[in-house]
Amino acid sequence: MYKGFRSESFTAWAFMAPGLLFLAVFTFWPIIYGIPLSLTDYSVITETNYVGLDNFTRAFQDHNFLISLWNSLVYVLIVPVIQIISILMAILVNSRIPGVKMFRAAYYIPVVTSMVAVALIWSWLLGNNGVVNYLLLKAGIISEQVSWLSTSSTALYVLMFITMWKGLGYYMMLYLAGLQGIPADLYEAARVDGAGPLRLIVHVTLPLLRPHILFCTLISVMGAIRVFDEVYILTKGGPGTSTLTSSVYIFQKGLEQFNFGYASALGLIVSVMVGALSVLVFRLNRKGGVNSY
Amino acid sequence: MGTNRKGFTVSLLLTMSMLLAACGGNGNTKGTPDAGSTGEPGTGAEATAAAEPVKLEFWTIALQPTFNDYFNNLITQYEDSHPGVTVEWKDYPYDAISQRLLTSTASGKSPDVVNLNTEFASQLGSKGALLNLSEYLTDEQAKSYFEGIYNSTVFDGKAYALPWYTGTEVLFMNKKLVEKAGLDPANPPQTREELVEWARQVHEKTGAAGYAQQLVSKLFPIDGISILNEDKTAAAFNTPEAEAMITQMRDLMKEGVVLKEDADFSKQIQYFSGEQVAFQLSGPTFINFIKTSAPDVYKNTIAVPLPTGKANLRLSNSMNLVVPQKSKNPQQAVEFAAFLTNAENQTAFSKAANTLPSSKASIQDPFFTESDGSLEAEAKVASSQSLDKATDYMVGVPSAADINSALARGLQEILMNGADIKETLNKVEKEVNTIISQGS
Repeated sequence: MYKGFRSESFTAWAFMAPGLLFLAVFTFWPIIYGIPLSLTDYSVITETNYVGLDNFTRAFQDHNFLISLWNSLVYVLIVPVIQIISILMAILVNSRIPGVKMFRAAYYIPVVTSMVAVALIWSWLLGNNGVVNYLLLKAGIISEQVSWLSTSSTALYVLMFITMWKGLGYYMMLYLAGLQGIPADLYEAARVDGAGPLRLIVHVTLPLLRPHILFCTLISVMGAIRVFDEVYILTKGGPGTSTLTSSVYIFQKGLEQFNFGYASALGLIVSVMVGALSVLVFRLNRKGGVNSY
Repeated sequence: MGTNRKGFTVSLLLTMSMLLAACGGNGNTKGTPDAGSTGEPGTGAEATAAAEPVKLEFWTIALQPTFNDYFNNLITQYEDSHPGVTVEWKDYPYDAISQRLLTSTASGKSPDVVNLNTEFASQLGSKGALLNLSEYLTDEQAKSYFEGIYNSTVFDGKAYALPWYTGTEVLFMNKKLVEKAGLDPANPPQTREELVEWARQVHEKTGAAGYAQQLVSKLFPIDGISILNEDKTAAAFNTPEAEAMITQMRDLMKEGVVLKEDADFSKQIQYFSGEQVAFQLSGPTFINFIKTSAPDVYKNTIAVPLPTGKANLRLSNSMNLVVPQKSKNPQQAVEFAAFLTNAENQTAFSKAANTLPSSKASIQDPFFTESDGSLEAEAKVASSQSLDKATDYMVGVPSAADINSALARGLQEILMNGADIKETLNKVEKEVNTIISQGS
């Protein structure tokens, strides 16, 4: 044991300790505490009572919560789209075209821009008299102004688009790192065997990018289900319940209506759902990658 | 780079943690309200000299540093007349005060006097988290405030807040558009029906819409439709009158007379600034926004009393002072709140902050009746003259926030998503009744 303390693992743990401590206090403890909380009617300001599984039964009869789950699942549809586009972007900016560095920077700017700023910019662009309507009217694509964020048939998809627009650069950078780790001789060998550009992508790039695809898909799925900022800023879940996502609903129940017990139960349900989806993503992406042995 | 079980477990844990990690702050603000008033220090409740030194913690919303002199002076006055009592004044941003109050309550360190808007005060009051002030106030003190505003936070005969500064909505008109439509701004519309006619004419003659509004539950009480029944045990809004009101709203949106939009305050500012609407129904705080965003429109804007709906009331948006149930010095806290909100101090604050008072006596001051012709003064006079009809409409049950959001969603479903009116009202009624039966 004593020897172990002097080992490499001790050094590793020492480096990880500050971060782990932070996570323990602000992440792991709240999650664990959320479990007993979900069995109460805790609201901070009134007496707390144990309610057993009432919050959970109420959740599955709560029409709005079920809608919010559905909307969150619909939101997950952007994951494959984001992955495909960002892989293509990564392949493009990985080429030796002059000026490519400028594109890398340009694609990455939305990632480092605050979501509040992004949301406000898009709210102006998509306003009734915004640039989007102006251009589409001029081009004859639409015949009258569309309230993109106030119309139930478009609001959710517009929000998905904004999420995608902001996230693309982030995933592109991850894929770019993955691309640069693929040995050039593999491409050489494939070319010698007569593979064209498309075949190179399908048979060399994509299989070797699988670990990156797994990671990006996983965090993208989690991000899609947890989506909050853009929805809360732009629509607050409206019109009606068209864009009500689970995070927004949990936030409203907890921090606006002080039903912390109920909100904890909803949070746990959504957590389990994300856990299940994560397992699914893992199952679908088991093999591939560059092995260092 | 194969996956391993530990990594998998860690990512699952992280997933859950990310999900449950609380996201940012609290939205839900309503522009700064305007004035209120209340009892007098020491009237009725004799000024209590504290046997042991008492330290009162007093919280306000966004009043430092602008009003430091005003409050420091009042606090000194109060401490001089209450030996042994000291007041510690803290000020928080609008968005932070509710979270601060929750966290301090949770940690057992409650402040003694807190400035809250009516919505939050009624929410906390109905959940039993605030002191029942009726036990401390004399009749005379309670009656010194405008009834509508004072009663906004009275539930089951218990008063949970002292009204302070307030603001009532007025009608702002874009004079240029109104005149272009052949209407006379000197004879403004008096009722909602007249306002609709004006809006229609503006739309026909100028192409601009009449006004934009937010689809919120208060649209029901404005038209005299109660949200809940008398004893607050069931929904009462599913009536032919509500159907008629919503039908009219839907038709007006179709015509373009009212913008087909669920427009929050910031969007309303945009529409008025861009001259896409001719009217704006809101409190005087609106002026500062158009002054900066559209100076030309500001020069062209006039303010008149707000046309009333069928209920003949005007909604106010008040700030209050409350004493949390867990305050350790309730007697001194109530006295201090009453002192801050008495007529004299409210009048002084209104002059300093350009707000309206909620104390009846304050309104006699020439400050509230004389106008120098500026938009600010017109709005002040117009709104102060309607304080007697003002009320902060509150549902007044612990689950009010739930009920309000159910109604807002229903209105959005009908007006923005084209859902059937009767069907949606039935659905929302059922939802509200469920919320009431769950009771939290």
